[in-house]
Amino acid sequence: MCRAVVREAFRHIDAFMSTTTLDDAAKIGASDSQWAVETHGLTKRFGDNIAVNGVELLVPRGCAFGYLGPNGAGKTTLIRVLLGLTHADAGTMSLLGYSVPKHRDRALARVGAIVDEPRFHGHLTGRQNLQILAAAREPAAKGRIESSLDRVGMLSRADVKVTKYSMGMRQRLGVAACLLGDPQLLILDEPMNGLDPAGMHEMRDMILSLVGEGRTVVLSSHLLDEVERTCDAVAIVDRGNIIRQGPISELLSGADVVVQIDCSTPDGVSSLLKGMNVDVRVEVHGGDVTVTMPTGTTRDAIAEINRRLVEGGTSVYRLQPVQVSLESWFLEVTSRLGAPE
Amino acid sequence: MTTATTLKSADVSSNQGDHRGSWLPTWGMITTRFMELRRRRGLLIAMTAVVVGVPTIFLVIRLIAHAVDPKVYAPAGGYDIFTNMTSGVMFIFGFIMAATLGCTAGSVDLTEGMFRHLVVTGRSRVALYFARIPAGLAIITSIVAVGFTIVCVVCCVAAPRTLNYDGVKMPAGLSSAAFDTYAEGHASAVICNFNYNGNGNMNVPCEYDRATHMGKIGVPKNAPGVTMPSKQQIRIEAVAVAKQNYVEYSKEFLSPSNTLMIRTGLWLELEAAIGFIVGLGLGSLLGQRTVSVIIMLVYEVILTPLLAQAHIAHLINVQRGMVGLATAHLEPSALPPVFGGNGPQAASNLIPESRPVAVVVIVAWIVVWTALGARRMATRDA
Repeated sequence: MCRAVVREAFRHIDAFMSTTTLDDAAKIGASDSQWAVETHGLTKRFGDNIAVNGVELLVPRGCAFGYLGPNGAGKTTLIRVLLGLTHADAGTMSLLGYSVPKHRDRALARVGAIVDEPRFHGHLTGRQNLQILAAAREPAAKGRIESSLDRVGMLSRADVKVTKYSMGMRQRLGVAACLLGDPQLLILDEPMNGLDPAGMHEMRDMILSLVGEGRTVVLSSHLLDEVERTCDAVAIVDRGNIIRQGPISELLSGADVVVQIDCSTPDGVSSLLKGMNVDVRVEVHGGDVTVTMPTGTTRDAIAEINRRLVEGGTSVYRLQPVQVSLESWFLEVTSRLGAPE
Repeated sequence: MTTATTLKSADVSSNQGDHRGSWLPTWGMITTRFMELRRRRGLLIAMTAVVVGVPTIFLVIRLIAHAVDPKVYAPAGGYDIFTNMTSGVMFIFGFIMAATLGCTAGSVDLTEGMFRHLVVTGRSRVALYFARIPAGLAIITSIVAVGFTIVCVVCCVAAPRTLNYDGVKMPAGLSSAAFDTYAEGHASAVICNFNYNGNGNMNVPCEYDRATHMGKIGVPKNAPGVTMPSKQQIRIEAVAVAKQNYVEYSKEFLSPSNTLMIRTGLWLELEAAIGFIVGLGLGSLLGQRTVSVIIMLVYEVILTPLLAQAHIAHLINVQRGMVGLATAHLEPSALPPVFGGNGPQAASNLIPESRPVAVVVIVAWIVVWTALGARRMATRDA
């Protein structure tokens, strides 16, 4: 259901962009805004280096949204700008419908975030650190400390000093700190860092449960496999620019169609497929043949490949369309961009 | 959809009483900040050891020594001990420890990574800064109060029973007439031991008494020609010497008065509060504790004593703008001058400054450093 909502939201992006301005969205108010995060032309420079370059980002409400990019792409910088940890040089942005930084206090009231490695006062216990953060939030936040600790599985270690916490425990405490504000939007920067496989599994389940409660989770991560399993939609950022964004299923459907073939004469496949209606690229590695066709190639083309091979006297043992993973698609997209011109 | 509706309802209800855009900190922010500072065990132990421990150890040693041999060791407390301990020890140590606490409070959120967690709450950064001021002041003023109370108690309870004026043991608190009467009755001790300014016709011979290590009336063996005046003349001379000494005598007490203790206590607390607030602003401005503490130490221990006494014509107004000089001019007049100088305030070498100007300087330092620290906190990248 959530993925369908995300798809529907992105279908309306063009229409929304042409009819609604950011100021209008801010006037609508937090509860009625369609987007949890919305940026237009957001730019952040460090001297000559443009870390965030005119970013147009739309994160629908109520979904898990992955924010992906290679190291140095500007992921953390964008998050820091969104949260008011550093100022933007140009552009506009809103969180939960509130224009930021103008209504920063109201916007962040329902936002929880982990940025970079979560660090706390080492001489205090986890519970005491949360007490400090709860005191800076609304009065009701104090009453959420126990439930937040319980939710991240830290209740039994809540009275241990943070200096004795492992990296994974500090990550959990960071998530607990996010939950103090009963957030509608969580922004988690590399939340899987330092977690063992079981911890990553628990974190994934927790993110999904948060989304299931109607919250929005923006996840910045290098772990593409985790993002693919957790998120409904993603944005790919490279060198400060968002180069793709949308529901994962739709983005992957835009990737090349790849077919693996196991046949009797691998070296003859290339000549047999010449003259097809679509462009094909044939690669032979040992006995395996990989045929790559452009985006949008229909299933009929795969049947055509099979027909040509059989009619050419080649025995086909296996012909399998390859499901494109987010990781391979990500590498494909970013490597294209990274290629020298 | 149901869940989303629930979230919106929670949003409205739980935001009641939430004024996080305000620059005023909440009581909860102040108490948790107090808790954060109070649990810095190493810092608290160091502060207590210096502000409370040093005077306590000094007084305990004096108490023990006097108890063991009262003839050799003077009583532990008394007026002189009080004035010297407060102006010589607690004034400087209190400021240094307060500045250390302030620099810590101003920088640790940044260095320990908590600052960005706090900023993400949406709370006004200025309110985050202001929450530290009452929290830190509550700690440093408490510690100074404990140390000062110990000094007061010992100085009152273990005060000497007789006054030692110029080596002469005599009653304290005499009126001018009673002082004259005492001089008539103890002419030998007064004439041969009290200070004499040379005015008058002093012709009473004195000699050194090896038994008491004091002067007494008598003809020295190396001056056989000197004649002894009459008893009437000796009494007249004694009263004349007493009149010359009464002003100084009237400033000598067995133990500090309540008024002096209250004034001194408030003065020490003021100095500590200034140290904390300036340290807080500097720590926030630099974002580093160690550098801030070193700067504060150099300022208080080296620069202020030097510049408070060196009369540099071209820099005189800059020197008058030093907060250390200003607080020195608010010092209770009964105390010895801080930053050097001997004797009472009148003999101080400090650059002159009126009390109203001193108050203006102190207020300016507090306001400027608070503004600098708060502004830096409000604008720095988290």
